[in-house]
Amino acid sequence: MAIALERSAVVPQRAKRHRIWRGLGDALTYLGLATALVFFLGPFFWILTTSLKGNEDFFAFPPVWIPAEPSLKHYVGLFTRSSGARYFTNSMVISTLSMISALVVSLPTAYSIARWRFGGGLLSIFLLVLRMLPAIALIIPIYIVYRTLGITNNYLGLVVVYTVLYIPFAVWLLVGFLRDFPLEIEEAAMIDGCSRLRALAQVIVPIIAPGMAVVALFSFIATWNEFLFAIVLTGIETKTMMVLVTSFTSGGTDMFYGEASASVVLGVLPAFAVAFMLQRYLVKGLALGGTKG
Amino acid sequence: MRIPALALKRKQWEPFAFASPAMVLIAFVIVFPLAYSFYLSFQNFDLSVGPEHEFVGLKNYTEGIFRDPRFLGSVWNTAVIIAPSLVLELLLGLGIAMLLSRVLHGRPIITALLAIPAMVSPVMAAMAWRMMFGVKYGAINNLGRQLGILDVYFDWFSSPFISIVAVVLVEVWHNTPFMMLVLLAGLQSIPQELYEAARVDGANPWQRFWSITLPLLKFTMVVGVMIRLIDLTKLFGLIFVLTYGGPGGSTETVAFTTYLAGFKDFRMSYAAALSYVIVGGVLILTLLFFWMQRVREARAA
Repeated sequence: MAIALERSAVVPQRAKRHRIWRGLGDALTYLGLATALVFFLGPFFWILTTSLKGNEDFFAFPPVWIPAEPSLKHYVGLFTRSSGARYFTNSMVISTLSMISALVVSLPTAYSIARWRFGGGLLSIFLLVLRMLPAIALIIPIYIVYRTLGITNNYLGLVVVYTVLYIPFAVWLLVGFLRDFPLEIEEAAMIDGCSRLRALAQVIVPIIAPGMAVVALFSFIATWNEFLFAIVLTGIETKTMMVLVTSFTSGGTDMFYGEASASVVLGVLPAFAVAFMLQRYLVKGLALGGTKG
Repeated sequence: MRIPALALKRKQWEPFAFASPAMVLIAFVIVFPLAYSFYLSFQNFDLSVGPEHEFVGLKNYTEGIFRDPRFLGSVWNTAVIIAPSLVLELLLGLGIAMLLSRVLHGRPIITALLAIPAMVSPVMAAMAWRMMFGVKYGAINNLGRQLGILDVYFDWFSSPFISIVAVVLVEVWHNTPFMMLVLLAGLQSIPQELYEAARVDGANPWQRFWSITLPLLKFTMVVGVMIRLIDLTKLFGLIFVLTYGGPGGSTETVAFTTYLAGFKDFRMSYAAALSYVIVGGVLILTLLFFWMQRVREARAA
């Protein structure tokens, strides 16, 4: 009886205190996350509003944070005067071609590793070591070779490099998808007289297409973001968006804000799209170097 | 269980044939250039002089490791940038991941939003921040003046110390989201029952953090730090845009100095040697890291 009395007196009080703490904890959690969101997304917001400002807004004090009359004229200027249209197209073409060729080359390799343990595990380690290799060690000899061959200002040269840089990542992810693929389906196709290559192309590919899309999107963004090879191996006609952006830094700290910010907005657009499309795969993709060249 | 005989049965050449396109490409674009670069690092190939070159032994290596103050300075700069970046990324990433793991509603969308900086190119991240740091039109000076904190238009890249702070800030902004994602995945793999059991035993939140979260998250933290460490030794695009190594070379990283040696001075052989020094350094660093982990685990056991 004594125990029961004590309990009824103590428990509600403890529950109440618990609730207050919990409420406070939740409030602090959301406050902390809101701060993080402001810190991590604030620069994007500022760049976006800056790209929409009129020229007089730059000089105004107090500063204009959100332009009263947003204008697209910096985008127009970027596309016409600074040849932004050309460099945007370059980035698109190079990224798309590299993405496709990386997939085409990596799929059979991944199949070979997944089905027959080709390389006996050594190959996987080799691919991982390639992921760690600093790009600076590769760019020097590749530049000399390309210079000798005369392909330093050429889409093809860049696409070949990006394709190969992408093989480790693509193979690594594709092996995972292929291991999950039921052998019986493939077997059934082959009993019906399908060659192995055809079974891969017409039976397996359609089924693992979502997985391949993940690999494709990551390789697209990695190529889009790559800078070291792009700045060394491109000339005036083949520059990518990353190289274009750096050309705005030549004016010192007070450079041409309008077009520079417009080019940053265009340059980060694919990253925004992919971050939302690939939520579930972000950890794996980033860990394996999915966004680096 | 029936063994799926047909799909496993193969002709001898098939595994090799399937893997050969990738192998050939890797041989031509990675293995051969690396070997060529190794050969070049013992020559004196200088594009500003001419195409001829001859064997000079270890001269490039001894110059880089012992005599070139610029390269040695860049090793120091890289370390000075890496150390605080790693610590801050780990702490901030852990903090945000723990906050996120408490959230019940809207976690995927908040996570995706917070992950965006890690998806953008270092060049774009640096460009956005370079503009934020801008003297007259930059957001930081303008905000500071509006709030009355700053009374002049401050040039943030005039002193070496503040420049390094700025580089670390941008790097932390850029890659904390990666650490956050890795640690969030690690946190979610810890069984909830452990926390409930600890709560029943009367453990307070602090004790639960020290005795459950931290030990079980250690491996994830090691992997995350390792990946960041390796990537930080390659720091290039961010430096190129944000400071271009300045002021006075105070933010030149090893990758950036090697780039300048190769593509500004055109000393190809020297740059090749430097790049091999970097590869060696990263290798030693990685092995050291694994060795330290092994020793600590052995001591713990």
